[in-house]
Amino acid sequence: MKIRFKLNGREIEAEVEPNTLLLNLLREHLHLTGAKYGCGIGECGACTVLLDGEPILSCLTLAVEVDGREITTIEGLARDGELHPLQRAFLEEGAVQCGFCTPGMILTAKALLDENPNPSEEEIREYLKGNLCRCTGYVNIVKAVKRAAEEMAR
Amino acid sequence: MEAKEVFERFSERESFLVIGRSIRRFDALDKALGRAKFTADYVERDALVVKVVRSSLPHALIKSINIDEALKIPGVVAVLTARDIPGENQIGYALPDQPLLNDVKVHYVGDPIALVCAENEEAAFKGVEAVEVEYEELQAVYTIDEALSEDAPRIHGGEDNIAVTTRVRKGDIEEGFSKAEAIVEDIYETPYQEHMYIEPEAAYAIPEGHNKVTVIGTMQSPFLVREKIAGILGWSLNQVRVIQALTGGAFGGKDDMGPLVCAKAALAAVKLRRPAALIFDRDESAAYSVKRYPARIRYRSGADAEGRMTAAEVDITVDCGAYANRAPFWLWRMTAHAAGPYEVEAVHVDGKAVYTNKVFGGSFRGFGDVAMHFAVESQMDMLAEKLGLDPLEFRLKNVLRPGSRTTTNQLLDHSVGMEECLRGVAEASDWWNRRRRVKRTEGKLRGLGVACAHHGISTSRGAPDWSAASLILNEDGTFTYRTGICELGQGSQFGHAKIVAEILGAPLESIRVEGPDTDSTPNARPTHGSRGLMLGGSAAADAALRLRSRMVKVAAEMLGCDEGDVELRDGRAYDRRRPENSVSFRELAREMYIRGVSPAAYGFYAPPRRYFDPETGLGVAYPVYTFAATVAEVEVDPETGEVKVVEVWPSMDVGRAIDPLLIEGQIHGAIAQGLGFALTENLIVEEGRVLNPNFKDYVIPSSMDMPRVSNVIIVEKPYRHSAFGAKGVGEPAIISIVSAIANAVYHATGIRFRTLPITAERLYRALRGEKP
Repeated sequence: MKIRFKLNGREIEAEVEPNTLLLNLLREHLHLTGAKYGCGIGECGACTVLLDGEPILSCLTLAVEVDGREITTIEGLARDGELHPLQRAFLEEGAVQCGFCTPGMILTAKALLDENPNPSEEEIREYLKGNLCRCTGYVNIVKAVKRAAEEMAR
Repeated sequence: MEAKEVFERFSERESFLVIGRSIRRFDALDKALGRAKFTADYVERDALVVKVVRSSLPHALIKSINIDEALKIPGVVAVLTARDIPGENQIGYALPDQPLLNDVKVHYVGDPIALVCAENEEAAFKGVEAVEVEYEELQAVYTIDEALSEDAPRIHGGEDNIAVTTRVRKGDIEEGFSKAEAIVEDIYETPYQEHMYIEPEAAYAIPEGHNKVTVIGTMQSPFLVREKIAGILGWSLNQVRVIQALTGGAFGGKDDMGPLVCAKAALAAVKLRRPAALIFDRDESAAYSVKRYPARIRYRSGADAEGRMTAAEVDITVDCGAYANRAPFWLWRMTAHAAGPYEVEAVHVDGKAVYTNKVFGGSFRGFGDVAMHFAVESQMDMLAEKLGLDPLEFRLKNVLRPGSRTTTNQLLDHSVGMEECLRGVAEASDWWNRRRRVKRTEGKLRGLGVACAHHGISTSRGAPDWSAASLILNEDGTFTYRTGICELGQGSQFGHAKIVAEILGAPLESIRVEGPDTDSTPNARPTHGSRGLMLGGSAAADAALRLRSRMVKVAAEMLGCDEGDVELRDGRAYDRRRPENSVSFRELAREMYIRGVSPAAYGFYAPPRRYFDPETGLGVAYPVYTFAATVAEVEVDPETGEVKVVEVWPSMDVGRAIDPLLIEGQIHGAIAQGLGFALTENLIVEEGRVLNPNFKDYVIPSSMDMPRVSNVIIVEKPYRHSAFGAKGVGEPAIISIVSAIANAVYHATGIRFRTLPITAERLYRALRGEKP
């Protein structure tokens, strides 16, 4: 079946099967490999993308569900060569290690800051709890989200 | 050139250009943009999908393997079994006990039997279901005691189920115990730990022309992967090209899994002459990949009335699971660290590793030292209590210092910062006051615990060790640096780049780092044993020094000055006496090419040799040790048994901090992993089956579980034989946190746990009088 949706600001059309997962559509058909397979059952958050600004697990989402809606992936976050403040903060604070959880983590953090531009540390930890990271202990990730929030408030 | 010279020539500088500063690592940009490529990101859509047919029984003879039905499934291209292996069907690491594909016997639930190669995942899964294996079931062995019993079935033939033994005989143990005022003895048990790297195992193999294959994979040891694939295919090393893709967390596990996964993909690609990809599902990764080896330690130790350690008698049993894999190295590491970071006159250690019919153990950050220090640090607390001493004071009396001798009687003449680490966390946590102050708060129990750690850097058992790198000065004055050391998240390659930049006076951004490709550098050995920066970085320094001397020679001629007056800085060569007289690296590079002066260098480095007497275990076990200390404060909820780690104060003697931010990152991550191991990570294995191979039921720490982490205290006691004196950091970071938490739980509750993890359920029951 044919679906139309907005992907990183551009209208696109894709031919999918009724059971095609959004994660596979992005990775295999659209060559956007930023979203990762980590568990396939919605437990790790590595496949997180934004659907109309809300974080969703693309490994549990059917491609047909995004018909007529808007998807943002990590590849769409930097605009015109300019890094998103979250991306910058992740670099500056040492919040990136192996990088496998990073795309999902940054997108979830973006949804948080869009919802709540000035979150407390507790709120950041609570919001990110579905995105697992095995490298950083989350310490510098939390710092990075705070730093981005401060920068965006300026 | 000796890396020693690097240290001497460059570490005397009053200030460094980039060493010791926290600088934004340059691989992070692609990762934050979503452009970084991991193994699965390289796989083309028309690649064959490979899935593994696995044993459903823990111990059985294979009577027959029928692939006929599987081959009838549309989309299934082939089913490969042991008979399709052209070389030797053997992939064991330390011992030749592990076939790549089993056709005689299976040794655990999940043992590989066949590979289904299909056009798509659906067909591959159906094919796996359709392969019929007929077994003759054998009695299985699940525990250390079962494995050691007289009538136990022999899992790998032989006289018993013991894969390997070790021993240390240092000093007079009877005399040591006779001097002791206090003696404590206990048995400690540590369980499996699953790595749960977020990226599952993956390999993508591409056949190239006549008898060559390129394999892209997630791994820690590209040269070992090459060796194992060549063995399976019956090829020479130069017919196999291995490229390490960015690796999404590894923690030791991918050192062991890399060869197993890559060899299967390579076999499929070569046999079927098509690109082939093998990517593990999460449950496959969690149930069948290697785990931290479970261990049981009987520990008896004593100290005299002055609070000095006099003797330690240690009996170690490692549960290998189905294959020995790294057990001889794991066991040796535990043996050589058995006295902990303390000077103990008399030490007797006996170790053995035994086979059981369970998923096999393997490398995991800390490599045996987590379990060993859990026993040591529990004993230290108990001895201190018995002697009426503060546990931190008691440790201070006994820590290894310059001039001390280790478990194996190795003399430590320099680079020993244990005492500084311990004093550092004592002061930062305000230990003596806080320890008295922590009490009941709103019905919760609070406690403060301390633990120390030491960890020998490089491979165990005195195995030869070295590393290699290549460095090219391009015509435009930029550099291409290639290392065989893998990027796993730790940032070691960036550390190498900083070492090169420091020596060459090159702007960091003019150096591009390329990851391991076995066709491009000599064997650089694995990225394990916390050796990536110390050994790999020393090879980088060697390459940079070689290139530097040529650059300086040509620059001196161009500037018309003495070589001794040439200074390399900011991408230019200056005449130190007349700084206005300078040439850019671009001009210098061009001149080198024209004059026929080689603009490329290979770097090579070998640390001082280690050796030990097999009879006594005495000798030089490791070139150098990293030291660490941790204080942890916990809060226990007596209503639920839940332990919350409130705050952690970490310190480490890193030799020389190449990049403090990278060190901090390693320590933060290790605190999370150690916290998981101490409290929540509980792999349930029943009758050889892993029952919780997923993130929901095997609980690794989330952002909600992390404590406040105090500033990392970095102690610098440079090591004489490595570039700038750096020592490894990644593994030492996880060792002391585990015991610090356990000791803090004891301080809070008066209950000492001798087995891990301290789950809420166990603590809840213990608080109500059940045996912990």
